[in-house]
Amino acid sequence: MSIMEYNGGSVIAMVGKDCVAIASDLRLGNQALGVSSNFQKIFPVTDRIYLGLPGLATDVTTLRELFRYRVNMYTVKEERDIEPETFAHLVSSTLYERRFGPFFIEPVIAGMSKTPAGGLKPFIAATDLIGCLNFAKDFVVAGTASSKLFGVAEGLWEPDLEPEDLFETISQTMLNAVDRDAYSGWGVMVHVITKDKVISRTLKGRMD
Amino acid sequence: MMNSFADRFSTTGPIAELRKAQANVEDDQFSDAAWGSEAGFGSLAKGVPAFTVPNVPDPSAFLRLHTDDHADPNCRIKIQHGTTTLAFRFQGGVIVAVDSRATAGSYVASGTVKKVIEINPYLLGTMAGGAADCQFWETYLGMHCRLHELRQRERISVSAASKYLSNLVYSYKGMGLSMGTMICGWDKTGPAVFYVDSDGTRLKGDLFSVGSGSTFAYGVLDQGYRWDLTDEEAQELGRRSIYAAGHRDAFSGNTCNLYHVKEDGWRFIGNYDISQMHYEGPTGTGTGYGYDLRVEGRTSANPPPAAAAA
Amino acid sequence: METSFAITGKGYIIVAADTTAARSIVKMKTDEDKIKTLSPHLLMAYSGEPGDTIQFAEYIERNIRLYQIRNNYPLRPPAAASWIRRSLAESLRSRKPYAVNLLLGGYDTTTYTPHLYWVDYLGTMTEVPFGAHGYGSYFALSLLDRYHDPEASLEEGIVTLKRCIDEVAKRLVVTPGKYKVKVVDKDGIREIEL
Repeated sequence: MSIMEYNGGSVIAMVGKDCVAIASDLRLGNQALGVSSNFQKIFPVTDRIYLGLPGLATDVTTLRELFRYRVNMYTVKEERDIEPETFAHLVSSTLYERRFGPFFIEPVIAGMSKTPAGGLKPFIAATDLIGCLNFAKDFVVAGTASSKLFGVAEGLWEPDLEPEDLFETISQTMLNAVDRDAYSGWGVMVHVITKDKVISRTLKGRMD
Repeated sequence: MMNSFADRFSTTGPIAELRKAQANVEDDQFSDAAWGSEAGFGSLAKGVPAFTVPNVPDPSAFLRLHTDDHADPNCRIKIQHGTTTLAFRFQGGVIVAVDSRATAGSYVASGTVKKVIEINPYLLGTMAGGAADCQFWETYLGMHCRLHELRQRERISVSAASKYLSNLVYSYKGMGLSMGTMICGWDKTGPAVFYVDSDGTRLKGDLFSVGSGSTFAYGVLDQGYRWDLTDEEAQELGRRSIYAAGHRDAFSGNTCNLYHVKEDGWRFIGNYDISQMHYEGPTGTGTGYGYDLRVEGRTSANPPPAAAAA
Repeated sequence: METSFAITGKGYIIVAADTTAARSIVKMKTDEDKIKTLSPHLLMAYSGEPGDTIQFAEYIERNIRLYQIRNNYPLRPPAAASWIRRSLAESLRSRKPYAVNLLLGGYDTTTYTPHLYWVDYLGTMTEVPFGAHGYGSYFALSLLDRYHDPEASLEEGIVTLKRCIDEVAKRLVVTPGKYKVKVVDKDGIREIEL
């Protein structure tokens, strides 16, 4: 029995053209037993950053609260919203604080970051459970279905997808990958972040 | 310790049988199986099945070392585990319902497994535990049921068939066979269900469920079960119970296969997608079995009329 | 085996826990109350490692009471649940963690809504319409998926609870004996006999 598989759950983030998407399943389990089909693993950090926290459910809640606190403190001190790159390093250092007794979470970050020219460009990142950052240009995955997500995403993803196409791609990737994972599923939630808005949808996934 | 010591030198029991089988294989370089198909039945055609075994002092320990995923999750051979199967007797015959998921660790290896084995037109066997073990031995049981029919000029009773299987798997006890099965059918005595497993347990009963999802199936089945269920009610109860298990148990799901055994033999009722049952019900037209759908719009809040109006 | 259930209904929550205190293979006591009243509208059923259960439950009970004395108002159910979960999560990474599973049932008098939280010893928390701990959950959850109604009257709720208790009595190898059953609604907390 692995701690990372105790509660189950998976998250994926993808880059599109001037947009990013992040999706998770909604299952909370106790090993084989499904307990809740409405357990959110993705949380808004700012208007333009979403954070996915797959892994041990107690740490999902604890880290969610910890990041809310730290981001609030940052916002108050700096008098501005945190940037995705900065937030990714906050995530990394927060996890490395517990190097010898880690949080059992592999965070996934998706957001739109400011460019020097004043525009916005897509940003995704993921870390392992002690904070090793992975900045990817295409997609990042984490959770019990990660190996299956990699497979499907490698097949479906392509560069410069428009928001609607990115939504379709990430949704199909998530739905098909979690169907091959016993510990993920029970519904899927997708957020697509564009320059001016965030589209959030709950998908009708398999419930077995 | 005592046992393994005794096993090594004893001339009876499974280990000794294996030793003898090994010796046979070594002696007989060209077994009968090597010469032809034996009508497609391989070693079965010889009557007494003979298996080649690993050439080590304790073959069953060797097998366990490479298949036991509880002791070692990284073991090479993953035997299919996790299932929900159920069968119950009622006024109108026997209902047999099973799921169709096969998992290897957390990987859903298949969603279209046939876990009901059609032994002959009057007998059904269910599959839980080792898929190959169930498939092989229940097919083998089918052969012997046919031989019984030819020799005795009458159909074998469910009781006798299940006893035959029970004795057979019991003779391999301790060698790693893994099966939990229900032998269901209709004979002179009417509808019958027997639970047989690889420990050698054989139970006659009205209602059984086997597998990792069996507790969830029991939860729904026990509450809805009556002897005088109509055919439609009984089929619905079987389906609903498999749905319950498919929903809650991570290792059960995908689809439900439903069979109904009556006096004139078994009939396949249908294959139902568990997710479709959740959202739209078994026919795809009604309201789904899903909790959230069933209670949609209902709330446990009870504001007083004044507060509700405000 | 220790078993506890909780179900919501129209304006109430029923919390039930078995009453056996076992040590090794011996039943030491058969009328143990494993449901604590934390505030006028908050109940907590606890189960798990003997010793840890009582110590943790009393620690929670006293601190919730202290909050009420200091602030003149009790914590509302979501806030109380959050704090209790935090206590468990922090204990998990201490030298000696509490191994206690909880069902928290509270009636929020400000929104007229009953809340039920399923919390395990790791500090995993989720709000549910019905919940169970122990081996009983493997039988009761599928049953409640089928029979639970959020708008059920108290009488109907008790019938559903009885179904759970009967099912566990029928199928679980080591059957819990009697259950203590408590209800929380707008009028507060009371115990009921089945």
